Amino acid sequence: MSEAFSYYSGIPTFTVMIGIAMVAVLIFMVGIILDMKKWGGGSVSAFLSAFVKSATKKGHPSIIKTIVLDILIQRRILRRSPFRWVMHMLIFIGWGGMLLLSLVFAAFEMLHELGIGEFDLVSVRDSFDTPNEILGYLLLVGLVIAIVRRLAISDVSKGTEMFDWVLVLGILFITVTGFVAEGYRPDTVSAWSFMGADAALAEAMALFHVLISLLFCIAYIPFSKYIHMIAAPLVILANGGGE
Amino acid sequence: MAEEEKTIPKVPKGQPSIKVDVIDPMHLLQYDACTRCGECENWCPALDAMDKDLAISPKDKISRWRDFMGKSYGLRAKLFGAKAIPEEDIQKFNDNLFYCTTCGVCGSVCEGGLNTIEMWEATRQQLVMRGNGPYGKQSLFPKLIGEMHNPYMKEQKDRLLWVPDDVEIADDSEVAYFAGCTAGFNQQVLGVSTARVLNHLGVPFSMLGEDEWCCGSALIRTGQPHIGDTPREAAIHNVEALEARGVKKVLFACAGCFRAASLDWPRLMGREPNFEVVHIADFLAELIDQGKIKWEKSLDNKTVTYHDPCHLGRHVGVFEGPRKVLSNMPGVNFVEMERNRDLQRCCGAGGGVKAGIPDLAMGISTARIKDAMDVKADILSSACPFCRRNLGDGRDSVYGVEGTNFDLRDNEENDMQVEDLIVLTAELMGLSTKIKSQEE
Repeated sequence: MSEAFSYYSGIPTFTVMIGIAMVAVLIFMVGIILDMKKWGGGSVSAFLSAFVKSATKKGHPSIIKTIVLDILIQRRILRRSPFRWVMHMLIFIGWGGMLLLSLVFAAFEMLHELGIGEFDLVSVRDSFDTPNEILGYLLLVGLVIAIVRRLAISDVSKGTEMFDWVLVLGILFITVTGFVAEGYRPDTVSAWSFMGADAALAEAMALFHVLISLLFCIAYIPFSKYIHMIAAPLVILANGGGE
Repeated sequence: MAEEEKTIPKVPKGQPSIKVDVIDPMHLLQYDACTRCGECENWCPALDAMDKDLAISPKDKISRWRDFMGKSYGLRAKLFGAKAIPEEDIQKFNDNLFYCTTCGVCGSVCEGGLNTIEMWEATRQQLVMRGNGPYGKQSLFPKLIGEMHNPYMKEQKDRLLWVPDDVEIADDSEVAYFAGCTAGFNQQVLGVSTARVLNHLGVPFSMLGEDEWCCGSALIRTGQPHIGDTPREAAIHNVEALEARGVKKVLFACAGCFRAASLDWPRLMGREPNFEVVHIADFLAELIDQGKIKWEKSLDNKTVTYHDPCHLGRHVGVFEGPRKVLSNMPGVNFVEMERNRDLQRCCGAGGGVKAGIPDLAMGISTARIKDAMDVKADILSSACPFCRRNLGDGRDSVYGVEGTNFDLRDNEENDMQVEDLIVLTAELMGLSTKIKSQEE
């Protein structure tokens, strides 16, 4: 593999990526602190202490049980609507899985940059290709279902606001840019290889994809509907989850 | 109303455009946890009764309050100061918030597991403190309950006027019966039935009589607990009065009082009372298990269905006791309505709606009556005086019966009887359900 395709590894691209990631995390942290202050009536510690008090209330089921059944398996959605559960799980697994793989790969890159451990970074990245491709399709299918549902079901359509569309269309755009970046890779295994190999475009698209992913999927969380990804699990833990 | 016509107040520098100081941090968190799935809109009884007016949908109200909070506490507010919220928007939100029975079905079906009941109540309180709430006649509650200790403008000394001479009330006993204002003053048939059933079963019980104060539920449900601190004072007064008598178990036949004693009193007092709080339906169910209930009469193969009172079921979790009692009655063909237990449809009376927005209360109750008609019920039973009253009103509306005396209106013009579980229990035990004045 040529050096050009080891995008988002190697100086200066890796530095740029780390720089963007740090900015994204910083914005995220500022937003979360603002949110916690808002929830705590102006005090982060008031929120945190109220949360701990609620989550550890006598009579609540074990936190592990709540995390598995209510946060990971999301049984409350399943009970109400298997259709919506499938849609949500596709998005949840696709989005969460790719975030996890990205974090793992970033850790490998960090080790590589620091000269720790002996491994071939390109091989590591290639081993992530198929899981990333599968997760990407899960996310894409989930998003398509979400969009069709919001357009086709009259009651859902009536209750849909820009607040909802920004999230779903934003992730769709990021997902598509990810596939396009993969498609341009000369060594791609992606079904999107029909786009034709173009090393320069592949690197540019990858950078663009990383940039908007970090800004939209990390930095934007506290300021958007995305916040439910943090607030809803916290509420479930605070209320003891369950039926 | 066009944006330019709205009254947009100036927000002083460093001040929020709307305060949230009485709303618990966990409830404020909940406003951001809504996934906007819209499931609540499929179940909300007020929304059904209002022809799906989305302004009163739980999801929409959460969105609007979250926007208000964003304008006060978001990034932009931190950088440039809070953004003013037009008074009309806050008032409209307030009015929409009170178009809700706080039945809690939105929380039961919520994907995010939101505890909506307390969230709505706390937000109501914030708006009452701001001067926007409550709604309609609900504003009379603080004066009535604060000064008279009941919402019916009755004298405390008259709380036991209904007690017939044959009913024995003990001075000291381990069991007490907390009748509540409605059974004491308004639907006394419930008090008489409960007292006679307990006497019949050989359960000695005491009552607080004029020492009994309103449980405070109406004030808490309508966001007015802070006015005169009445519910907290009532909780302390009632609990201390019961504890002073050495009571070990307190029975409630009113779901509203039972909810207040189970959840609100301990929260308001900061401690659990030194006695057990039990609803009469669970008490009777336990006696059935022990083989201590003997029926004297039969309902002769009548189809009976049970409406779970919100305050008893969803709020506290009592679902099976009432079903056991009704199913055990001779001659009962017990059937469930499609919406039952934690997914039940509210009767429409709760959350101050019966007093504040009677049309909405009626709209919801007629829908519930139709639920019972769908299963061809001869008797629609419940275990709450407010459900009994409002479902009775709904039944009369559906069947076109008007102007009948509430306690005597189960007449031939009605195809469906609406009756409380404790009254049916008394009747099937062969006991009189007449109050003192009816006997004289």
